[in-house]
Amino acid sequence: MIGKRGKILVILYMIFLGALFLMCSTDLIIREPEKEVYQMAVIIEDTRDDNYGNFRKGMDQAAVEFNADVRFITLYEKMDSQQQLELISREQQDGTDALLVVPADEEQIIMALARKEITIPVVLLGAELTGQEVIGSITVDYKEMGELLARKMAERIPKDCPVLVFAEPEIHSPKSRRFLSGAMEALESRGHGCQMIAGSTDQGFLEIMKAFKDWDGERAVILAESPEILTEAAGILADDPAIASAVEGLYGRGSNLSILNYVDRGLITGICVTDEFGMGYFGVLTAIEGLEGLGNGAGKTMDSWYIEKKDLRDPAYEKMLFPIE
Amino acid sequence: MILKKVLFLSLTCMLLAACQSSQKEEQKTSIRIGISLYRGDDTFINNIRSVLEEKAKEYERERGIKVTLDIQDAKGSQNTQNNQVERFISLGCDVLCINPVDRMDASVMIDRAMAAKVPVVFFNRQPVEEDMNRWDQLYYIGVDAKETAVLQGQMVVELYKKQPGAVDLNGDGVISYVLLEGESSHQDSLIRTEWSIQTLKDGGVPIEKIAGGIANWERSQASAMMEQWLDAYGDTIELVVSNNDDMALGAIDALDREGIQGVNVIGIDGTTPGIEALKSGKLLGTVSANKELYASAIMELAASCAMKGELPREYPLTDGTYYWTPQEILIHELED
Repeated sequence: MIGKRGKILVILYMIFLGALFLMCSTDLIIREPEKEVYQMAVIIEDTRDDNYGNFRKGMDQAAVEFNADVRFITLYEKMDSQQQLELISREQQDGTDALLVVPADEEQIIMALARKEITIPVVLLGAELTGQEVIGSITVDYKEMGELLARKMAERIPKDCPVLVFAEPEIHSPKSRRFLSGAMEALESRGHGCQMIAGSTDQGFLEIMKAFKDWDGERAVILAESPEILTEAAGILADDPAIASAVEGLYGRGSNLSILNYVDRGLITGICVTDEFGMGYFGVLTAIEGLEGLGNGAGKTMDSWYIEKKDLRDPAYEKMLFPIE
Repeated sequence: MILKKVLFLSLTCMLLAACQSSQKEEQKTSIRIGISLYRGDDTFINNIRSVLEEKAKEYERERGIKVTLDIQDAKGSQNTQNNQVERFISLGCDVLCINPVDRMDASVMIDRAMAAKVPVVFFNRQPVEEDMNRWDQLYYIGVDAKETAVLQGQMVVELYKKQPGAVDLNGDGVISYVLLEGESSHQDSLIRTEWSIQTLKDGGVPIEKIAGGIANWERSQASAMMEQWLDAYGDTIELVVSNNDDMALGAIDALDREGIQGVNVIGIDGTTPGIEALKSGKLLGTVSANKELYASAIMELAASCAMKGELPREYPLTDGTYYWTPQEILIHELED
């Protein structure tokens, strides 16, 4: 039998246990560290995210690792800088902590930053601006990429063979401008003349490529300005083996899944790529470092690589081209 | 007297609170939609996703309401999809649009959505009825699988009636076919197979199955399977019936590799590569859901749920839950 004193002790002990439980469960003793979720928006220059597949994977990976909420925003019209500024302003008003921007027009963004219209931290992607206006930038040297591709092309194509440059009638994208300028200068310095060709609005490059079948003995070498044009040209080769047999080589830049599949099928001869997964990942990381006061506005330049079919399964490239989330 | 004052004060407080909450409702100027896809590399799903993104932009422009789409790929893992749903809810999504990985296993996602009071619009893969009946904020958008299959069968029936020689390639009075099926766990796969073949039989097309297999909706698997059949049966194959366009394209890849021409291949979905193959004559026909309507229905329904408004009348729901997207036959016109 427990005595009266014993009963009181048991009751006190139970009360003590109950209080301890309540204190633990209500954060009074063990406080869960509060994690701040950073709100971020990525605003690209395009209307679609087809060329941002690996970039998004890297961005999502960093968002999970560093507790960020990242929204990916595309434009209504491709390269519409005015609309991009409106979206930046909208995101700013909506309380976004930091912005990652692929500028449609670098000058407009620079001016908006100089006019202090953008007051939240900005990381520029694929642009060449660094300095105090931005908390960081992830750059790709597209001119160097073009030069690299041209060097590799020159090693593979017949001497003095002219190169057909498939491009938009008006090249608006700074990426494309730099890429083509690097590639064409390097090709011309190696004795390969470059001829710019624009596709038609309704047929694209189909009619131009059909004409290759009638070329007498000569085979065409094509350099595509953008990933979209490269995909289109490869699609035409896939549909018509007769055109494919009249093409010596198809080259360009980009690493979306369609392009990689065409490289694998041997329809695209060579491409220049950059680590897009890394770009997305470092973009978010740079923004977080900036928000935490660790950023210094420095730019990070991503390297470029030349890839052919044989390189696709090389572990070093495979990891970069087909990243696993 | 005091009692009256207390009553008056409490009523005023209640009114003020009500006004404040209604003001909050009115002030909703943005919606956030969490979208989880069973597999991002499925061509049909990718097509729907692209149109959905366009529709979200249209909605944003027309209504002046900011729309944020969080799109995630579940990569064929139900567990990953469950985690995605949890993340969407913790990120404050107003509504979820889910293309389930396993239609038999939607209950975990529904539990989480119900607990957080977040409506769910399922699409493409229909959860079981017991799950759909659990809450009045669950919807499904898809196509009627039986209608799809009947339309697929009909395109061959009509062609056979008009030009028997175009279907019975060796003229032996029997059409030898191979069948490419989708996942065995997908309800559409079973229904498409059953009703497509039934329609051919009912339409008086003399058919004989020489081989069939499950290629899980995938082009590469279908291509490998077709290659084996071509090795085994050679030119006896006259018709390839596929549960979707991707597998039909896989069969075409195998035919191209072997240099075989003239075999009729029919698919379903009307995907972009499927329509390209149709234009070039490699694919005889496909059944296409109206993707504009499909994606619009998802967007409008999701937005109405998010805005807590009336459900869109232009997309009438069967039993208050299901919207069936209209479909059409797309066929390559053969020369006489």
